[in-house]
Order: sequence, then structure tokens, then C-alpha cells
Amino acid sequence: MPIDETVVHKVAALSRLEVDPSEEPRLVKELQSILAYVEQLQALDVSGIEPTSQVDAGGKTTLREDRVVPSDVRDEALAQAPDRDGDYFRVPRVV
Amino acid sequence: MIAYETVVGLEVHAQLKTASKIFCSCSTTFGARPNTQVCPVCLGLPGVLPLLNERAVRFAAMTGLAVGARIAERSVFSRKNYFYPDLPKGYQISQYDRPLCVGGGVDIHVGGVWKRIGLVRIHLEEDAGKSIHPEGREGVTTTLVDLNRSGVPLIEIVSEPEIRSGAEAYDYLMRLKQILVYLDVCDGNMEEGSLRCDANVSVRPQGQALFGTKTEVKNMNSFRNVERAIAFETARQIALLNAGGRVVQETLLWNADKGTAEPMRSKEEAHDYRYFPEPDLLPLDLTPRWIDSVRSELPELPHQVRERLTQEFGIPEYDAEVLTETRSLALYYEEVARRAGNAKLASNWIMTEVNGIRNKEGQAIDEFPIRPDRLGALVKMIAEDRISGKIGKQLFELMLTRLEGPEELVKSQGLLPIDDDASLRALARDVIAANPGPAAEVKAGKERTFAFLVGQAMKQSRGRAHPEKIQDALRKELETS
Amino acid sequence: MRETAESIGRSVQGRERPAVEVARSFVERAERTASRLGTYLHRDAERTLAMARDVDARIAAGEDLGPLAGVPVALKDNLCTRGIPTTCGSRILEGYRPPYDAHVVERLRAAGAVFTGKTNCDEFAMGSSTENSAYFPTRNPLDLERVPGGSSGGSAATVAALEAALALGSDTGGSVRQPAAFCGVFGLKPTYGAVSRYGLVAFASSLDQIGPFARTARDTALLYNAICGRDERDMTSRADAKQIQVEELERGVKGMKLGIPRDLIAEGVDPEVRASLDKVAKTLSDEGAEIVDVTLPHARYSIATYYLIAPAEASSNLARYDGVRYGFRAKGEDLQSTYAATRGKGFGREVRRRILLGTYALSAGYYDAYYLRAMKIRTLIRKDFQDAFARADLVLLPTTPTPPFKLGEKVDDPLAMYLNDIFSIPASLAGAPALSFPAGMTRSGLPIGMQLVGRPFEEGTLLRVARTWERRNADALRVPAIAADARG
Repeated sequence: MPIDETVVHKVAALSRLEVDPSEEPRLVKELQSILAYVEQLQALDVSGIEPTSQVDAGGKTTLREDRVVPSDVRDEALAQAPDRDGDYFRVPRVV
Repeated sequence: MIAYETVVGLEVHAQLKTASKIFCSCSTTFGARPNTQVCPVCLGLPGVLPLLNERAVRFAAMTGLAVGARIAERSVFSRKNYFYPDLPKGYQISQYDRPLCVGGGVDIHVGGVWKRIGLVRIHLEEDAGKSIHPEGREGVTTTLVDLNRSGVPLIEIVSEPEIRSGAEAYDYLMRLKQILVYLDVCDGNMEEGSLRCDANVSVRPQGQALFGTKTEVKNMNSFRNVERAIAFETARQIALLNAGGRVVQETLLWNADKGTAEPMRSKEEAHDYRYFPEPDLLPLDLTPRWIDSVRSELPELPHQVRERLTQEFGIPEYDAEVLTETRSLALYYEEVARRAGNAKLASNWIMTEVNGIRNKEGQAIDEFPIRPDRLGALVKMIAEDRISGKIGKQLFELMLTRLEGPEELVKSQGLLPIDDDASLRALARDVIAANPGPAAEVKAGKERTFAFLVGQAMKQSRGRAHPEKIQDALRKELETS
Repeated sequence: MRETAESIGRSVQGRERPAVEVARSFVERAERTASRLGTYLHRDAERTLAMARDVDARIAAGEDLGPLAGVPVALKDNLCTRGIPTTCGSRILEGYRPPYDAHVVERLRAAGAVFTGKTNCDEFAMGSSTENSAYFPTRNPLDLERVPGGSSGGSAATVAALEAALALGSDTGGSVRQPAAFCGVFGLKPTYGAVSRYGLVAFASSLDQIGPFARTARDTALLYNAICGRDERDMTSRADAKQIQVEELERGVKGMKLGIPRDLIAEGVDPEVRASLDKVAKTLSDEGAEIVDVTLPHARYSIATYYLIAPAEASSNLARYDGVRYGFRAKGEDLQSTYAATRGKGFGREVRRRILLGTYALSAGYYDAYYLRAMKIRTLIRKDFQDAFARADLVLLPTTPTPPFKLGEKVDDPLAMYLNDIFSIPASLAGAPALSFPAGMTRSGLPIGMQLVGRPFEEGTLLRVARTWERRNADALRVPAIAADARG
């Protein structure tokens, strides 16, 4: 499964990451070398193996009681916003 | 010309009526000042973790059980990754390949036929915040974000593509909403967005097994608009095909004002949500015992109440359907019917008089001023022939604005019926004396004029005269006069 | 300042000396060395002294704060501290002040610890040398030309340089153990779930754990005790985490079985590191432990596995840095260009590389071949450890294949940098507890770290073995003259 400039563009767009054109050839090479290394996994037979998405070590689902606890940090949190309009966060127009 | 069949699958998002959000303890109340019901978790601050709300799980399981779905003993949350300013974490926690509920169905009733619309799944997820795009101001180039809604629990209910018309879609939505409201897990308010619906619409030649290319229609804010949008989109697709064109898979936005669906104006790349299991939540494991306990605590569902009303009270299916519109209305009816001792008469009064006023005023049954004890007493008086229907209606009008029961009102308003012989005869005499011409006609054999005299008697007594007995009295007086 | 945390805590709680006096001596030490070492991203002497005064007041009021009373502790800059800058070594969080404390921070405040500051690290904990910090690199206190390891390089270095008695770091694929090895201190990665991650800025959620740095085994246990246990704000945290009885660490290793995975360490290991492993094995054998061979047949796939799973999770965890609600925002013409510029300029090269890699591994068409396959191989690696623990109580292996490398040596070759993690990543994928302890020095005076991996929630056993070695090698373990001093 090759990775080239087109794929990097696509993935960069999906990740909302601007890639400096001057950086691109090197980035493609680095990603190619990492993926070439990762290719060794294709040699393993994984049929019938369950995936481990997390190590729950026998953990049990715990659920939270449905109770409202207002947050005391709202103002502190909103103060971090790069741009606001009154109570709202403000961003450049979506469309 | 080829005959086409409409194929529709609906995706309904229902906000669950929990007090707090699905993964944090912020309030879910609608309409609060922007960004006041937020905390580090639903703002997606660095370092926070989700905590699953027990009631959200319970409500989703209740819904699944109510529609006959299988509740998974293990379901898994996944991350759906995409960027949007009102999605604080850059991903939505949802369920993907292992949803909480699988299968089930909703029975719909269209054109006198019952039909079951199968369900693919019901899964739990979190709502996003709200993006507001201020319109009208010249040069406004910003979007405003309110995250009060971020993290409100949702269930997504996905139907099989078994809906065949806009009318079926409408009935499906009505009945689904009815179930949700009966369960008291969602308030079903489409205007406030607590119920949302997207439609996948395609057409295919009648008899063809293969599905046509579908479009997704969004932005419909009422059940009627869903029905209209499906009709519009179906017609558009058929016209396109008939003209030799091809349907393109795309997302359309319904414009209710214009009555058209238009392609979404966006240059975003094809969706690639990169789902993967949410590592911050353990799989949701539910024991058969827990599931059984939820099942045993389910309230009576619309179809169960409907059946019970037809069996217990012997009313027609149509009546039962109208009276079970909401759980409160069914309860109201049951009490009226019990107090009145005449189930069908009680049903008639509610369907015509009570619903007539409620529909005009947009009133919920719980807000209706005549409570079932008073209406029951009124219907009972009519059922026992103690007053006429006409008096009944006068009393009903009075009861809308007064607190007394019908028994008191009938006395205080002088509406007691006239049914003793002497009074009836006196009334008959007055009527004959006042209408000598018509009286003569009746005597001459013109039977049709008799009804006029009865009408006059009723009018003069303001409807209080006993309708049969006054006829006897008139006959007797005519004979003797 | 060479004093142990244990001794500091005892004397402060015993009112033999005020916490503020302890704090002052550490602050003065840091004033002399920290800027040259690049250990801290944020240090506020006034705040440190104020915390110490508060500890003194609590003790004066009769409060029993326990063993960490007045002990100076450094915090990695990816642990949220209310009102105190928390940048994760990234430009994208420059100036960010969290409105809440991480669980471990709350715990330490309650225990009367005194914070020395927020330590430097590789950006978002991605790296093995602390050269990926967006601000400046950290230098190894024992050789300023060399890296301290990473990503928790600042935490390891500050403990080694005696600027703090203890420190917290985070370990996703070795980020506590490897810098501990490179700086000659103890570093423990607890069992996944032993310590709440609430308030730890996520890198790869299924692997991240917060862990302690210390200069002795007993001090490591004290800090672990203060932070472990169930926290209801982290669904993956567990009640099984046990408090370590510090006196139990003195009970020796008689009858214990230590397994050495000879297959994994057959190649690419520095001869001095190998010699050190043999020496440790010999010593522990002399102390009554039985040394056996174990195999971890799939461990050689662990780097490839890790470099799919961790970037995949990271690509999602780092999606929230979009310039909408906090942190850095670059100017763009519209929303999409604002996103791309914010993230393109706000993240450093390694972070961008991993986001792209992770996005690729999760994207349609590649998920099965990459991410899903990696999760399956993770299952095989976990099983390897289960099999090993059927034969041995613990697994013993080097923490790193080599002693610390030079600054700049690997920074342009990401894969070479990744390969340095070959011995630490397997335990991370298995979720097993793992400890790096100082095992001596190379001839040229560079530290070597040995690693112990145990069964879930056996942190105490790891420390008991390390304590046994430490007791026999007190001299070898004494922190040598610090390079930073020599030049000062």
C-alpha cells in the first residue's frame, strides 16, 4: 500500500493540516520509510485473533448517575477562547 | 411509461429526556443562555474523559424493548471523526459496529392497512453544539458557536428501507414519536430539535429487487415536511429517470418555504469518518437481569392501550386509536368512561367536544380545563337520560370557564329538565296557543309540521324539555284542543 | 538535596524543619541549573514557596499529611494544573491555563506535596529525546551533550539534577522508563488503569499512564501510592491498584522467578548494556532469585504495532486543537483555511507526522490492513506476556538497547528514533506494569537502566526486586557529580 504525494494531500486534508510544499518531499519519504517498516506486520497470520482495542484487564462498565452538577469553571474555561462574541465562541464563517 | 416504486429509509435522532448530558453532569435544559451549560468535558478541554450516564442507557434500552429490538449484552462506543466548530473534540462518540439495539419494528396504519416497518438498529450517541450563522447583517463573515447542546444524549433510530411513500413516512414518524412519548424518554418536539429526521430516498421500477441510487434529504423540521420532501424528491428522481438521466448520490437540504430540496452547497471532501473503538470508555456490558428489569418496568405502550380499550370498553378501533394519541389522553378517557358508565358516549364527547376545543387552542389534555371527574359526571347525566345532549353541551360550555360540576350548574343555571307531565302539558299548551296555524296543519294531517312544534317547544324551554315526553304531551294537547 | 523524599516528608511532617525551608533549597538549586538543563517549561518560585507555606500551616493546624508532606515534586507539562500554564511542549497550547486540576495533581495537593514547576517534554509526549519540545530541548544532567530521553525528559532530568525530589511523567510507549534509564533514576509505568488519566492530556488513550520518577525504589513507591487507585472520572481506572507497603520492599527476592527474554535481546544491544543485564541477573540470583528463559515471540513486532495504534489514537485525540475554544489560532480566510493553518503552524513536525500516519491508518480502505491488524497483533503480544508469566514472576530486560545518545543524533531519522523504544513498547501494549531502575554506568559514565515487567497490579513486586539490587549496589547508584554543576 504505497503512500505518495496524492495520498499525503488527501490525508492532510482529512486531518486539517496545512503542509508546507517545501516540506512535502521529505515528509513523503519519512512516511514511506515508516510504512515500509510497518509492512512486516503483513507477514503475520492473524486469522481468528480478536483485536485488543483497550486493556480492560477484566474491568467492568461503571455508569454515572443522572444528576446535574453545574460546572464552576465555565468562566475560566471560556476565558481561554481565541475569539468570542458575547457568550458565543466566534469562528470564521463555515460556508 | 415505467411505474416506479418509492423506497425510503428514515434516520431519526431523538434527544433523551435525561437531566444531565450523556458524558458529563451538565444540564440538558433547552433554551439556556449560550455556553452556560458547559464544563471541561463537553467543551472538549485537553485531558477530560467521558462518563456514561446510566439513565441514557436505560432510556435507549427501553426504546429498544418497546419496538421489539434485541438488546446487546455488549455494545461498544466508537469515535466518529470529523471537524466542525460545534463538535468540540473533533469526534463524536457514537456506536458503530456494535449498537445497543438491533432489529425490531414499528407498525404503521396507512390506507386502512397495517404494515410493519423493520428497524436496523438503535444506538446511543452524543449531540453536537449549535452553530449560528448570523444572516442579514452586511459583511458578516463569522459563525457563532454555542455548546449548551454539546453532549446531550441522543438515540439514532435507523429504519429498514421499507417505507414506500411520504404518507407511510408520516405515519411511521407519528407512531415512533408516540412510542417515545409514551415511554417518556423524549419530548418529541421537532421544532426545538428534540426529534430530527433525515430521509434516504430512492426509486426503482415496480417489481425490481435492486435498489436505485439514493439521495439523503435533511433539514426537515416537521413530520409534514418529511412527507412533502419525500413526495418532492421521489417526483424529482422519477422525472430525472424518465428524461433519461441518472440519480446522483448526494445530500439535499429541504427548503420548506420553496417546497424544494436542493443539493447541499459545500465543497467538503467525501466523508471518511475513520471510526475506531473509543478507548476512553469500556464496552457497555448489560446483564440479562438488568435488561429484564428494564423490560418489566416498561409502561403500557400505545398498541397495548389500544387493544385494552377496544376489549375492556368495547369501543371501535378508530376511537381507540384517537384516544390513545397520548398516554394522558388515554388515561383521561378511561376515567371519563368509568365515571360515565357509557364508554362509547364518553368516547364521542372526547373525540368531538374535547378534542375540538383542544385542537383549536393547541391544548394538551393535561391543560384542558374540564378534568375527567367533571366530564364523567356530565356524560353520566346524559347517558342516564337525565339531561339532553343539548343541555349537556350548554353545561360543557359553562364548565370550560367555571369550576362547578354539572350537577350544581344544572340547578344554578335553571337548566333542570322539564319531564313531569303537568309542566310538559303546560308547555305544550303554550306552544299550540302561540302557533295556531301550524297546529291546525298538524291536525289536518300534515305530519311534517309536527316537528316544527316540537322544535318550538324545545326552543321555548331552552332545550330543557324531555325530547320524547314533550312529543307525547303535544300529541295529547293537540287531540284535546 | 540528595536527601530522599521519604526523609524530607518525615522531617516536615515531624515538624523538624519547615516545608518552606526545603522548598527554598530546591528553588535555589533550580535557579542555578534549570535554565542550562532546559528542565522546566514553567517555573514559579513564588508559587512553590506559597505551597510550602500552606503545607506548614496545615501541619501546624495538626493535619497529618502523610509521607509526601513538603516534598518537592515536578509535574510533566501534560498534566493539567488549574490556572498554571499547561502546554504539553506545544505551540498550539501556548498560554493555555486549564480551569481544573488533573486527578494526580489533586491527590498530590491533598498529600501536601509542593510543586516545583511544569517540566519540559516532547510535544504531546511524542518522542524519545525531548528534542521535540516546541520550546527548547532538555539536556541530560550527566552529559550536557546528550539527550535525557523522552518524552518525559524534563521530569527525569530534574530528579537526576536534584532540582526536585520526585517527579511525575507519562508513559505511552516508554516515556517514563526510557528517560529514567537515560538519567540514572527510577521510573515506573504503572499497570494500565492503576492511575486515573483524568487531566492527563491524551496522546494515545489506550496506552497512556502517569508514572513516578524518583531516586530510590522506596521513594518511587511513595509517589505511586499517592496517585494510584480508582477515580470515578476515568472509566478505565481500576480499584485493583494496591498501595505498596514500603517495608515489604525490603523482603528480598528469594524464591522469585525472573524471566529473561533472550530472543528479544539477541541483537542490537550495546555490549555494556548486555553486561549490565548479566550483572543484575547474577546479583539477583545470588540473592536467591531463580533466573529462567522466557520468550516473547511477537515482541519484535511491537514497534510496528505501536506506530499504528498510537498515531491512530493520537490523530483523533489531537483533533480538538482547532483554535476554536482555546489555544493558538492562526489567521485564515475562511474556517477551513483557519483550521489548516492553526494546526499546521501550531503542531511541530513529529506531531504532524504522527497525525498524518494515524489518519492514514484509520482511513477508509486501510483500516483493516493497518489499524485492525495492529490491534490483533497487540492481542498476540499480550498473550506472549501471559505465557511468560506462567513461567516467571517477572520479566527482566534492558530499558533501552543503548546508553543515552547525543542531541541531534536521531532527530532527522524518525524511524531510528522509534527503534530505540523496542524494549519499552511491549509492556505498554500489554498494559503491564514496568519499572526502569538504575543499573550502573558505562565506562564513560553514562547511566544504564534495567527494566522489570510484572503481572497486572504487581508494582510492589517490581520495586521489591529493584530495591534488592539497589541495596547491594548503593555505591553504583549514587548520583554522580552533575555535569551542570561542573560547568556552573
